[in-house]
Amino acid sequence: MDFSFTEKEEAFRSEVREFLAEHHDSEGVRADGADVESAMDKLPKLLAWNQALYEKGWVGFSWPREFGGSGGGIVEQMILKQECGDVRAPILGLSYMGLAWVGPGIIQYGTDAQKKRFIPPILKAEEHWCTGYSEPGSGSDLASLQCRAERDGDDYVVNGQKIWTSLAMWAQWMILLVRTDPTASKHLGISCLLVPMDSEGLEVRPIKAMNGETPFAEVFFDNVRVPVENRLGAEGQGWDVTKHALANERSSIAEVTALHHNLDDLKSMAGQCRLNGKPAIEDAGIRQRLARMQSTIEAMRLNGLRFLTKQLRGEPIGAETSVNKLLRTEMDVETGRLSCDMQGGHGVLTGKSPGAVQGGRWQKNSLSWPTTVIGGGTPNIQRNVIAERLLGLPHDS
Amino acid sequence: MDFGFSEEQEQLRRQVRRFADERCPMDRVRELMDSDDAFDRHMWASMAELGWLGLAVPEQAGGLGLDWEDVVVVAEELGRSLLPSPFLAVTTAARAVDLLGSEAQKAELLAPLAEGTSVVTLAFFEDSDVIDPDGVATTATADGDGWLTLSGTKMFVPWGQSADKLLLVAREGDGLSVFAVDSAAEGLTVEPLQLIDTTCRAARVSLDSVRVEADSRLGTAGQAWPLLARALDAGLVALCAEMVGAADGSLQLTTEFAKVRQQFGSPIGRFQGVKHRLAEIYVATESARSLTYYASWAVDHLGDAASSVAMAKEWAAEALDRAGEEGVQLHGAIGYTWECDAHLYYKRGRLCRNLMGSPDYQRERVLAAQGL
Repeated sequence: MDFSFTEKEEAFRSEVREFLAEHHDSEGVRADGADVESAMDKLPKLLAWNQALYEKGWVGFSWPREFGGSGGGIVEQMILKQECGDVRAPILGLSYMGLAWVGPGIIQYGTDAQKKRFIPPILKAEEHWCTGYSEPGSGSDLASLQCRAERDGDDYVVNGQKIWTSLAMWAQWMILLVRTDPTASKHLGISCLLVPMDSEGLEVRPIKAMNGETPFAEVFFDNVRVPVENRLGAEGQGWDVTKHALANERSSIAEVTALHHNLDDLKSMAGQCRLNGKPAIEDAGIRQRLARMQSTIEAMRLNGLRFLTKQLRGEPIGAETSVNKLLRTEMDVETGRLSCDMQGGHGVLTGKSPGAVQGGRWQKNSLSWPTTVIGGGTPNIQRNVIAERLLGLPHDS
Repeated sequence: MDFGFSEEQEQLRRQVRRFADERCPMDRVRELMDSDDAFDRHMWASMAELGWLGLAVPEQAGGLGLDWEDVVVVAEELGRSLLPSPFLAVTTAARAVDLLGSEAQKAELLAPLAEGTSVVTLAFFEDSDVIDPDGVATTATADGDGWLTLSGTKMFVPWGQSADKLLLVAREGDGLSVFAVDSAAEGLTVEPLQLIDTTCRAARVSLDSVRVEADSRLGTAGQAWPLLARALDAGLVALCAEMVGAADGSLQLTTEFAKVRQQFGSPIGRFQGVKHRLAEIYVATESARSLTYYASWAVDHLGDAASSVAMAKEWAAEALDRAGEEGVQLHGAIGYTWECDAHLYYKRGRLCRNLMGSPDYQRERVLAAQGL
């Protein structure tokens, strides 16, 4: 085992720190989780940050240089995310979906024209993307999706509905999974289309979430015409396109630093809140839960480093990453609960209330965990993945 | 950046696993656990020949001079097989001697330890089982020129009944000292404890004015604590590795059962009520494994590894406890029988959970280390 970094890696870390000192305005641009509305308020500063990163080649850091990335290795990628995370800088900026889902897919499966057309605006945060995956009848069982596209000359004609589409109200483009061949087996009948959100016949209806925000929407397709040249990958290849298009860095370091910030905030709040007549930090139950949170985050960090090592050694990894997703779930729900519990009676007061603690930040947080817990695969799906692929238990269908 | 084992370490792992399969399959584990001392001295001699007892002992003292990571590899595989032996006891004691002893003491104590001819164990805990100098009430008082008298009672002494030498921790002046004492010393009484897990052994050691030479003291009088704490941390990591191995063993046993046991016309491992619980054990075990491996590196490379070690113990204890309990439950009624091996892992979990500090205690240690 060796937890040190090479000279070259350390030099890169210094470079990142210098860059952050020069370009990152810690007051103006802060990563505060998935609060879209407050992010939109900070748009000019976020765009300036994105531009500085782009000029450096650090947006899409691991992407090949010919597409505007840096071709950076996974250790450097981890260093970059860690250093940005430490100062709470939003590394991925506003193009989150474009960078995480669309760009890698286009680089791997796109035509030259698609690469030229779509990659630069993602890197420059000029165009934003949403993902048209889930449907009312296809959630965990995504491959059963029914939204259909029929060929008509040089177009596909799309009819159907998508749901839980994050950022649909702001995005200019959608990466859309449709069924092009209803006779093929469920995974093979799917294709992937790149669809302008201002297409005729496409309607976005925002959905209000339990925290009062509208982070996602329903999207309806009524004879929406999409040019065939906007198909990503071959017809019937849509499932592979999305499955393999994941960003290639699995160390979870970005999540871990964000969770660490949360924990630091919780510890300091525990010193300020009074619970049962004494500071919450003196309460045995609160202490146990804070310590449990700390060791869980450390477990995630170290699990991530083990995955990273496997990658560096050229070994395949896949299902193991479900381990950290499950731990993340536990952390997100517990953060909400613990933060309110340590406030005692004040834990029920939301931001608009007299007497609210820290502007009701934690109450809002405690109603927002489904974004990460349910989005991208529910905990029970992660458990299936582990049981079936890692333990070899029989499929349940 | 490389958070994994080397090819040599993987070879060592395969060697231990093969040894355990051949020399100590489950029916042999059961024979030993029902025997008087659970100690197979032939097997012990073979383990010594393979170099395992002196893995982390310096080469000049008769060991292989390897790292604590290597100890952890062996401990994990011994845990997986539930092989009864004083491996942890002796390895931890070796670490204490290596950290505290003079060159002469190392030569005297460590060579026979690595050869398997002398079983040495560290007697630190008492009725108060905290990992803290305050828990030690046993006293060492000067008794004439060059002699001291030890009085007190040591508890949970690992494999004390099989030990040839005891490293006795006593209060001397304002601090702690460690004395290497023959188990046959006059005034020293060893009583076996009856543990919930009979694949492991521990003893109570009563010291009724045991006279020891000042030369038997390892290190400076009253100054043992910081180094002793490091030896305890290392021992704790090795215990964690055993627990991770046992958790994995239990998970494997139960997973294989869930694949073949048929109910409602299907293997029970198809039902989410079963497979999800096994997945959760996997998550806990893999996380405990990451924390344990890191802690094994930390005890060799960081000045203070206490928090890393405490987190490893917290998770290893909970992973094994859960693997053991679900192992019994998911086997159904057969899991409650003596004949089924599920209870052996469960009992190992019950034992290890509370030895050297419960998960609750470890969580407090982590906070205390940050001044909270």
